[in-house]
Amino acid sequence: MLDVALVSLIQDMSEKAGVEGTIQYWARVGESLAKRMGKEAYMGWPSFNVALREGRTAFSIEGSVTALTDLAITDVDGDVVGYIYALETCVFNPTTVRIRYSVGELPRADRAVADEYNNSVRDTAVCNFCVIHQRFREEVSKNIAIADQQLDCIQLAARGFTGETKIADDSMKKIGINPEYVRSLLRNYACVYAIMMKGARLKGEEED
Amino acid sequence: MIKTKNELQERRGLIDDNPLVDVAACLFLEDIADKQGASGMNNYLVSLATSLAKSMPVEEYDTWDDFIDALVNGESIISAFEEVEAITPNCAVTKKCPFTRGWQEYTKRIGEFSKIHTDVAEYYNSVYKPCVINSMCIIHQTFRNAAAERINIKGKPLKCANIAAVWEDGTRKIAPDEWLPILLEKAQITSTDLNMILRNNADVWVIYTD
Repeated sequence: MLDVALVSLIQDMSEKAGVEGTIQYWARVGESLAKRMGKEAYMGWPSFNVALREGRTAFSIEGSVTALTDLAITDVDGDVVGYIYALETCVFNPTTVRIRYSVGELPRADRAVADEYNNSVRDTAVCNFCVIHQRFREEVSKNIAIADQQLDCIQLAARGFTGETKIADDSMKKIGINPEYVRSLLRNYACVYAIMMKGARLKGEEED
Repeated sequence: MIKTKNELQERRGLIDDNPLVDVAACLFLEDIADKQGASGMNNYLVSLATSLAKSMPVEEYDTWDDFIDALVNGESIISAFEEVEAITPNCAVTKKCPFTRGWQEYTKRIGEFSKIHTDVAEYYNSVYKPCVINSMCIIHQTFRNAAAERINIKGKPLKCANIAAVWEDGTRKIAPDEWLPILLEKAQITSTDLNMILRNNADVWVIYTD
């Protein structure tokens, strides 16, 4: 119920504070959630991936996440510095369905917030809630260390409730993954992102 | 036609929300409280619940029984988010608080529920009606009252009032002594019934028309 109520407030908030104001609120919520969840440390990628599979990491609050271990990200020396991860169901999807059954349709502000985010921040949002959880992932990765190295999270692709997709081509190029491959992942997953060692020297960056 | 428990559960399973959304909503409210205090947070809670109810369609019922059927089947706007049972024609109970899951996820992943959620309830109890335990009850009860205003039975608006609420940790809030006998009489239950009902339900409320 709280989720549906929150969505009904988006329209009101966006009318009062503007869609930019809503984006700021949502980004702060994402940051605050990540900070409140605390720090985590892992011996190496296998232990992190097991923790993720068992739902023990902060990332797990989003739902079922699969570590695509066949998609390792390597640095200029060929060492594995990260992996691609895929979220099965968009966190906002159940709320969209709940709104459909209780209220009827999403408020116009949902689209307006996503559009403004895509224009002013980064072209990766398919709904208003992307603002919260993409920011949440970025912040949460700063609180996680693997082999004493801080992590970084990069949004790669998302598929919205209506089938609309957003693919971050630049990020894909940076980590050396073919965008078409990630597009095919969206058939089975709602959101795809990379988690990697912060500051890793990637092949794509070298080419730039 | 009354739906089977399985049908209701199947529908409720379909609409289970993601914990991230619920926890994020709580943090959003805490962010508001940091800036505007308990009264500011209270205003947001009331406005959030009222605007939700207003975004839902109005309802007209020919008979009280038609309304009760819709209520217990989760077809009325007033029971869209919760499983409701009618103990008597004028007494409804919420089997499980719809905010429980969000609270459990919050306590599991973040820690103790922020004190501001009970502080705002104290503010609400002193300014509005003394019947809420925390911020979630403010949303819930405000929504219920606002939804009731959108329901007419035989041309008369539905009225509802909370008799008692129990939170997950066992905290109870029962209507003040001076109101309780009137509410119990309208609900057609005794205070002994109330205590029994509270053992395995989250909310007890009275529904009536003038």
